[in-house]
Amino acid sequence: MSNEEKRPTMIDLARVSKTFPPDTHALDDVSLRIRQGEMIFLTGQSGAGKTTLLRLLCAIDIPDKGYIEIAGQDLSRATDTELQNLRRRIGVAYQDFKLLPDKTVAQNIAYSMEVSYRSRQFIRSQTEKLLTELHLLDKMDAPAGCLSRGEQQRVAIARAAANEPELILADEPTGNLDAETTELVMQLFHRYNEQGATLLVATHDHSIYDYPGSKIIKIENGRLAIQKPVGTGRKAETRA
Amino acid sequence: MMNFLLAVFSQTWRSITETWRSQLLSLITITLSVLIFTFFYLVYVNTLQLGNRLDNDLRLIVYLDEQPDQALQQEYRRKIEKFEVERITFVSKLEAYDRFKAQLKESDDVLKDVPKDFLPSSIEIYPRRSLHSLAQLKDFSDYLAKLPGVLKVQYGREWVERFYSFVQLLRVVVLLSGTLLILTTTFMIGHSIRLTVFSRKRELELLRLVGASNSYIRVPFFLEGALLGAFGSTAGLSALYLLFRWIQGNFAAQAAQSMFAFSFFSASTLLAIIVLSTLLCAGGSFVSIRKILSI
Ligand SMILES: Nc1ncnc2c1ncn2[C@@H]1O[C@H](COP(=O)(O)OP(=O)(O)OP(=O)(O)O)[C@@H](O)[C@H]1O
Ligand SMILES: [Mg+2]
Repeated sequence: MSNEEKRPTMIDLARVSKTFPPDTHALDDVSLRIRQGEMIFLTGQSGAGKTTLLRLLCAIDIPDKGYIEIAGQDLSRATDTELQNLRRRIGVAYQDFKLLPDKTVAQNIAYSMEVSYRSRQFIRSQTEKLLTELHLLDKMDAPAGCLSRGEQQRVAIARAAANEPELILADEPTGNLDAETTELVMQLFHRYNEQGATLLVATHDHSIYDYPGSKIIKIENGRLAIQKPVGTGRKAETRA
Repeated sequence: MMNFLLAVFSQTWRSITETWRSQLLSLITITLSVLIFTFFYLVYVNTLQLGNRLDNDLRLIVYLDEQPDQALQQEYRRKIEKFEVERITFVSKLEAYDRFKAQLKESDDVLKDVPKDFLPSSIEIYPRRSLHSLAQLKDFSDYLAKLPGVLKVQYGREWVERFYSFVQLLRVVVLLSGTLLILTTTFMIGHSIRLTVFSRKRELELLRLVGASNSYIRVPFFLEGALLGAFGSTAGLSALYLLFRWIQGNFAAQAAQSMFAFSFFSASTLLAIIVLSTLLCAGGSFVSIRKILSI
């Protein structure tokens, strides 16, 4: 563990609160530090505040109180350009996917790479690689709107991972998937984690947390409940 | 940089292929505005050229009661040159007589009994053929009439004044249609950008989410505006050229060719009109995209 402590901080939250009118305390005084290369599972009941936390991390929302730093960048002080640069280094798979239904699967995935001015070949090969990995290669040129929920979810994950981000935020990435496909997604996440990416996965799915070296963070009613490392091996006894 | 340009061009191309139908109206409006403006401008330019060709009618003749000696000629010259003049010629009594005789040709025997100095000497003044000096022609002739020794000042007053007010009117029309061009163009550009933003709303939101830079979002709109301007002005000028050929084919044959040779814009004027329209549209789109997307 001492080795891990030396790694630089990827996400730093200090006393962050977010209230929605009239008085939903979606997040209440949350402090949290996530280091580079960590794999974190964010759990909690529906409505606990997981999505809210992820939205704050990618600066879609701003906190009412508290301080958020990502990769050394203070979000409240970041200029437009700094924020845009940061977003290009973060891959986000949204709970509602945010796919463009009229565009093809390949075009949807390409967006995250085009904004970083990646070459055509890179975009092409990366798209093919990810779609192969997620068993979606045959849907590459289909409009995203025609896909099933589970397929759309995988496209959203592929888009989040395509630009080789340093940080992947995934909101309920396996919500619509069967056990087998869930396994594909988790393998992908692990591959990225092994290559050094930090992963923060919000999930209800108990079956996916039991990987070595990963951590669980639980939120209850907007408050941080527990943070603990998960077991020592795959499918170990880790029920919280 | 290379990749930036590629990405931006493909963005632009994608946006155009998706929204060209709604852009058509803007394109037609820009084409028409350019056509109207350039039509009046062409008429204006040709009218000015016509004025340039009508040298003699712009000549002022100042009749003097005495034949001026060298010193007096210098004196007159000094006073006249305070105005914008191109050329001053002194015509002596004898020269006037010779000219008159030449004009009469065979019937010059009527001059048999007339003394050779019966015509007054005069000064012929050719004012510079600029609008400014044309506008001052009346003041100029009043000034000349008050000089000592001047009998009478003569010029094609009626004609010149009418011509001048026609040119003035044309100038106002050109300015008005130019203003109309600028207004409609910027309005249509703003309108078409609003349409594009509306139809690409979700895509633009996604672009923000994945961290597209402001210029990545803005430049395609800018290019779209510039293309609208370039195509619109080219189409407008082409329509004007067709109109010009048609008028030439149908009317110019009857008109005295030498006197009223209507000519089209030079290549550099054409280029300038296209470049200016393109810049105008690009600028308009730049302003409206900043306003609409607030970036
Ligand atoms: N824009 C909003 N306006 C009002 N209330 C909101 C808004 N967004 C979230 N909330 C509320 O904040 C609380 C936390 O919501 P959040 O979406 O973060 O939950 P979650 O943990 O992601 O739940 P789930 O597991 O169902 O996705 C909920 O009570 C929700 O109703
Ligand atoms: Mg949620």
